[in-house]
Amino acid sequence: MAGVVVTARFPRRRLIQTVAANLVRLVFGSAARNWGRNIGSTAPALGSMTLLLLMSGLVGLTGFALHNLEVVQAREASLLHVYLRDDAADPDVVALWNRLSSDPRIARVTYVSKADALARAHTIPGLPELANASESNPFPASLDVQVKSINDVGAIDAVARNERVVDPLNPTSYDRGAYQRIEAVLFGIAVAGFAFVGLLGFVAVTVTMNSIKAAILSRRDEITIMQLVGAPRWMVRGPFVVEGAITGTLAGMVAGAVTFGLAMSGIAAGSQSFNQFAPGITTTVAAVAAAIVIGAGLGLGSGSSLLSMRRHMES
Amino acid sequence: MRPLVAERPPIVELIGVSRAYGLRHAVDAIDLALHPGELTLLVGPSGAGKTTLLKLINREIRPTAGEVWVAGIPAHRLKSSHVADLRRRVGVVFQDYKLLPRLNAIENVAFGLQAGDLRISDAEARDRSLDALEAVGLGDRGGAFPHQLSGGQQQRVAIARAVVAQPPLLIADEPTGNLDQETAWEIMDLFEDIAAWGTAVLVATHNVEIVTRLKRRVVTLVDGRLVRDQPAGQTGRMAWLVSS
Repeated sequence: MAGVVVTARFPRRRLIQTVAANLVRLVFGSAARNWGRNIGSTAPALGSMTLLLLMSGLVGLTGFALHNLEVVQAREASLLHVYLRDDAADPDVVALWNRLSSDPRIARVTYVSKADALARAHTIPGLPELANASESNPFPASLDVQVKSINDVGAIDAVARNERVVDPLNPTSYDRGAYQRIEAVLFGIAVAGFAFVGLLGFVAVTVTMNSIKAAILSRRDEITIMQLVGAPRWMVRGPFVVEGAITGTLAGMVAGAVTFGLAMSGIAAGSQSFNQFAPGITTTVAAVAAAIVIGAGLGLGSGSSLLSMRRHMES
Repeated sequence: MRPLVAERPPIVELIGVSRAYGLRHAVDAIDLALHPGELTLLVGPSGAGKTTLLKLINREIRPTAGEVWVAGIPAHRLKSSHVADLRRRVGVVFQDYKLLPRLNAIENVAFGLQAGDLRISDAEARDRSLDALEAVGLGDRGGAFPHQLSGGQQQRVAIARAVVAQPPLLIADEPTGNLDQETAWEIMDLFEDIAAWGTAVLVATHNVEIVTRLKRRVVTLVDGRLVRDQPAGQTGRMAWLVSS
């Protein structure tokens, strides 16, 4: 066989293995090594990203709870309690019940006795003390009128409040503009939340970009050599993106764990009152929020690195 | 008898190349061709445009006018995303070696090889790096780190890294600038050997003794203009020394 040149093709599987091994070593291995080496300069970025992601997680959970609260409030606002006099005769109450039930604007009418009202009061924070303070039952019987559209609640109130069986001192639960006020407050909180998260985001991206800039400067020679030997652009930039992704993911994991922990603590400790003020926050919702925070950290870290490289690598 | 290198198509061709920084022309209307197997010395006073010319060939910068062709690639209009294709055809040697201090000699050479081509396995990269180090006389120092090597040895490692992928062109910017005369001659001998393998070698230098004694082609730049292109075998005047 001496003198014969063998020109067999490089086995595809070995080629893929070789490329993958080089990729892992030169991009991921290099990134992990340098991340560990530059932990000092990465720490500010890690801290600001953790803070941003934690605040985002909490603001996100709060926003979700506020959205649910708004839904609950809308439902509550279209539920009109028509309070009955203690001495109202049953036939008169039934007559009013019939009239309201036949109104096409009303979905349903439910009779709540004084005993039912007392039982319900015991489930609302603060009211059991009030109930216990009185020797007799202070809560009146009512007709709970579920109005189809919140816009018709005022008109139904006008019809019901002048009925003879209705308590003249406290006829209904109708409060003009209450729902709009709640909506305005929630909108203000949402705007403030977004502005706060936006500001924190700007700070986190800037700090991360600067830490990546420092990493680029500290490895100028390595980058120059890689560029001069013909390393493709993605390979030169890859380690920095991975470094940013590591920072972001770590920040996300810390922030996600704290977000999840706080939500679970609230669920475990708050029980009734927590459900009252943060409806819809469950273990699943908290876990999803934590996962989103980790994903956001990954995106924030690698995105900031990409931005930094576009700005600093060419120079 | 050595074949005339000019009979083969040029590996580098500059046609009316200018590069301006504001109103100042770093290089001005340069026409130049380099052929395979040719060792060319690029001389001129400081600020004459030598480094700018090397950067134009390696597509570190683009010309403001003219065309730069390297191994058939139009460097003058090459997009940033395709520069790597050109760089794999050009070996580069610097005055300050630019070795990675945390890697030993073999790893430095292999790094250059594998960063440019991911398909090269560790074993192949090691074998080829050892071959390249043996070719530059450092076969027994493969495990040494840069700080354990002399300046001349570090420059040899840098040359091994530049040629390990067997590029058709090698450019060197003041490669002997940090070396004593004896070591400088050893490095120049290496460049002669590399040219003899068929690689076009372009060396920017200030070393008058090397230029006069080597009797290779000498391209002289003054104020960005190519003022003299002296063929190999002749000894010309060093007019540029007056202004350096």
